[in-house]
Amino acid sequence: MQQNRNALKVAVVAVLTAVVVVFTMVVRIPTAKGYLNLCDVAICFIAFTFGPWSAFIAAGLGTALADLISGYAQWAPISFVVHGVEGLLIALIVRRQGDKEASLIRKLFAGLVCIATVSLGYFALSSLFISTVSVAAAEIPGNIAQSGVGFVLGLGVASAVKRAYPPVRSLAW
Amino acid sequence: MGPSPNGSTSFPVKFRPIMQHALRLSHLHFTYRSWKEEVCDSLFVDLNLDLQEGGKTLLLAPFNKGKTTLAKILCGVCPKYFPGTLQGTIELFERDLSTMEPWDLLGVCSYVSQNPQEQFIATSVEEELAFPLESLGLEREEMARRITRALEHWGLEDLRTSSQQELSGGERKRVLLAVQEVIQSRLWILDEAFDDLDQRWRNQLKATIQASDKTILVLASRYLEEFTGLFDQVVLLDQKAIQNPSLDELLPRFSHLCGDDLPNPLEGQVLEMSKKQKLSCMDLEAERKRMSTLLGRSFSLHVPDFHMESGELVTLVGPNGSGKSSFSRLLCGLDDPIGGVIKLDGQPLAGKELSKKVGYLFQNPDLQIFLPTVEEELSWSLKRRKDLKSEEMRARVAECADLFGLTLSDTPSTMSYPQRKALQAAVYFLLERPFYILDELDSSLTYYSALAIIARLRKRGAGLLLITHDRQFAARVAQRSYAIEDGRMASL
Amino acid sequence: MTTSTFVAGKGWLYRFDPRAKILLMLLLCVWFFLPVHLVGLYCAVALIVFTGGLNTGFSHVWKIFRSILPMLLFMVLFMPFNVRTGRPLFSVGSVTIVTEEGLMQAARLAGRFIGISYVCTLLFATTIMNEVMLALRWYRLPYKAGLVVTLAFTYIPFIADSFSQIAESHRLREADREQGRKFLQRLKDLVPTLTSALVVALRSIPNLAMSLEMRGFGLQNRRSQYHNLGSYRHPFTHFLLSVIIPVVLWLLCKA
Repeated sequence: MQQNRNALKVAVVAVLTAVVVVFTMVVRIPTAKGYLNLCDVAICFIAFTFGPWSAFIAAGLGTALADLISGYAQWAPISFVVHGVEGLLIALIVRRQGDKEASLIRKLFAGLVCIATVSLGYFALSSLFISTVSVAAAEIPGNIAQSGVGFVLGLGVASAVKRAYPPVRSLAW
Repeated sequence: MGPSPNGSTSFPVKFRPIMQHALRLSHLHFTYRSWKEEVCDSLFVDLNLDLQEGGKTLLLAPFNKGKTTLAKILCGVCPKYFPGTLQGTIELFERDLSTMEPWDLLGVCSYVSQNPQEQFIATSVEEELAFPLESLGLEREEMARRITRALEHWGLEDLRTSSQQELSGGERKRVLLAVQEVIQSRLWILDEAFDDLDQRWRNQLKATIQASDKTILVLASRYLEEFTGLFDQVVLLDQKAIQNPSLDELLPRFSHLCGDDLPNPLEGQVLEMSKKQKLSCMDLEAERKRMSTLLGRSFSLHVPDFHMESGELVTLVGPNGSGKSSFSRLLCGLDDPIGGVIKLDGQPLAGKELSKKVGYLFQNPDLQIFLPTVEEELSWSLKRRKDLKSEEMRARVAECADLFGLTLSDTPSTMSYPQRKALQAAVYFLLERPFYILDELDSSLTYYSALAIIARLRKRGAGLLLITHDRQFAARVAQRSYAIEDGRMASL
Repeated sequence: MTTSTFVAGKGWLYRFDPRAKILLMLLLCVWFFLPVHLVGLYCAVALIVFTGGLNTGFSHVWKIFRSILPMLLFMVLFMPFNVRTGRPLFSVGSVTIVTEEGLMQAARLAGRFIGISYVCTLLFATTIMNEVMLALRWYRLPYKAGLVVTLAFTYIPFIADSFSQIAESHRLREADREQGRKFLQRLKDLVPTLTSALVVALRSIPNLAMSLEMRGFGLQNRRSQYHNLGSYRHPFTHFLLSVIIPVVLWLLCKA
């Protein structure tokens, strides 16, 4: 009998979105933009463990909701696009072929894509919709640091979770 | 059925149909999927069960023998969400379960879980009640009517718009019971529903069961006094199948299964104590803002005198919300008191220093599990100590695993609940703290398992503070007792 | 951790139909990007802030301002230095520091920034999330998307609570550690807490899916709606207002 997995898909995306929101709001280092946070850790974890669509929706929706709740509603659409694309791209790059784990080169490439997407994405969209090129440019170093650190931690956490909780494989879509 | 349109009275046909089988399980086998190389032990072997429509049945089984799995199988969600192999036939009201999806069972079979957290899906109580009714496609007036009636029945009118975070454990249970009532399915499955409820609501639940014409299956792991005279049929889940002994045989046999007749591991225990220490505090004051905003005022804790020595077993009893957790947090250094000070052997301690001496075992053992095997989890704490060589470390880990009945290569997140609790205790055992606080150890464990864990922790002479709301358990175990009510502690 | 953006209060914004409010918010955001003269821009901002104060209370309005202040200061201080064209206002020797053009642009951006922040925040402060979702569904947002958002809001407090308990639990376990760890070590020490938190969250997924299906998610028949926006009596008038207000502002203030 063809199993209808709709409820599972909804459950996965909802819980992962909540995870991204919590990670974004839990550790905050105030800077000019708002705050540096652990959202990239959560997004990279999701991208490594789950599929492209879950990563896209959870990352985009999660960061947008976090912005909304914290009172930075202007950034919500920008975060949705930037982090959603980040999640989508990383998940596509490291997608497992059958049972093989992605190679180190792919992971490195994914890391570069992650850093580039976040910093350039925020730069481009902020300069268009929030402020100007020079102000947006000042945020680039912070974004590079945050996404870089987030990627590395996300990698560590993803492998730790897969070993600690094997049933996660059956949840991925 | 009344008079027919053409005038003549029709014969009042009000016969009862032949009693249907509400549930029929035949030759049920079930094994959980294993995530390691070895295959799991099967959970049910050739299990058979028959429930008549309108009948009230009690199924007794000690913790962790498969009651919840059975309930989930009946609702059609296992093995769909909890992978495993299922064989045998299940018929619900003469329909084969394998042809139905869980949502088809909405009006047929409903389940109140032992752990309310896992069943909440909405942001407020009202939404929670409305969701299944919306699935059924009911009209708004009908929905409003059912919801109001259920809320009144379970005393939840004031909590209509509260979110789950604002509710206490008992209130959450009642919300789930209200959801079940609102759906009005034909078969009700209640997993440990009487737990968490205050006496008043236990009586209400008992009255509801008695007055209801639904088929009701109650799963329980302790025989409560409320059960006498309530059920048509009482069965036992033992040796992976349903047993149907006579009533006089049943309770002693159940007692035996729970290990109640095993010797108390605490009696005659000889402690290997190296140093006798004393933890004490006087005139401790603390403020705690209540999580629920319903009562408004903030909550103050006042402890005139508390002391505990190495090797002692002290219990702290009190109802939910009385301040037990607040006190524990002060005692282990997580929070700081406003007034008074905590002393160890006369020296005041606070914060991290205090945490090194007093270990706090949270009620939920999953809060600390993050490593793939038991061995790594146990070695984690020892790795930080520079003074241990790796062979000695391995030896200690093996000895500890042996003591607590754990297998070194098991994956913690897929172990059963009692085993995870044992792992939590084992982790703290290796940390060698002189004092331990055990938060609600006896919930979800048989008395014997709880006592076994306590005995092992005491082995090296640690002092234990046991927090519980079960006075029966406290009486069996305690050398000394404290009671706490509404923030005020007194010794008994 | 509170996820509520709603601030209780009285005022016409609370009685405004949410569907029309969303349209008004969008149109006002667009308006801020149109070429309007500076005085008009700031008048509109003042009007919005004042309306907000009357509805949600001035303490809330002040709180919003405080939260956007860091970014605002950063923009105002940073920006003028980068615009080199225009009449120099302030120079040291032969080096121009600030130009009039730069100041104008900074003022415009600041005004736009403040305006849009208030418009967006006021929408969520005067409408409960449930009604926002209902309004979005009226705009044809698919049911599953709305359900995902509602479920996420249900789970955020649970995961946040677990996270803080897990952090405490690990802190207790690690109490033997020495102080003064390097940054790299501190990051590595975060991994256990994050892993445990993720495992706890992942374990709740099958239970959530199970509960959804047991409560009827997946039935073929059409779902009914318990809540609706029927309490808002004059949607058409409100929609009309939502369109008229931005248009009038545009006509008054166009540069």
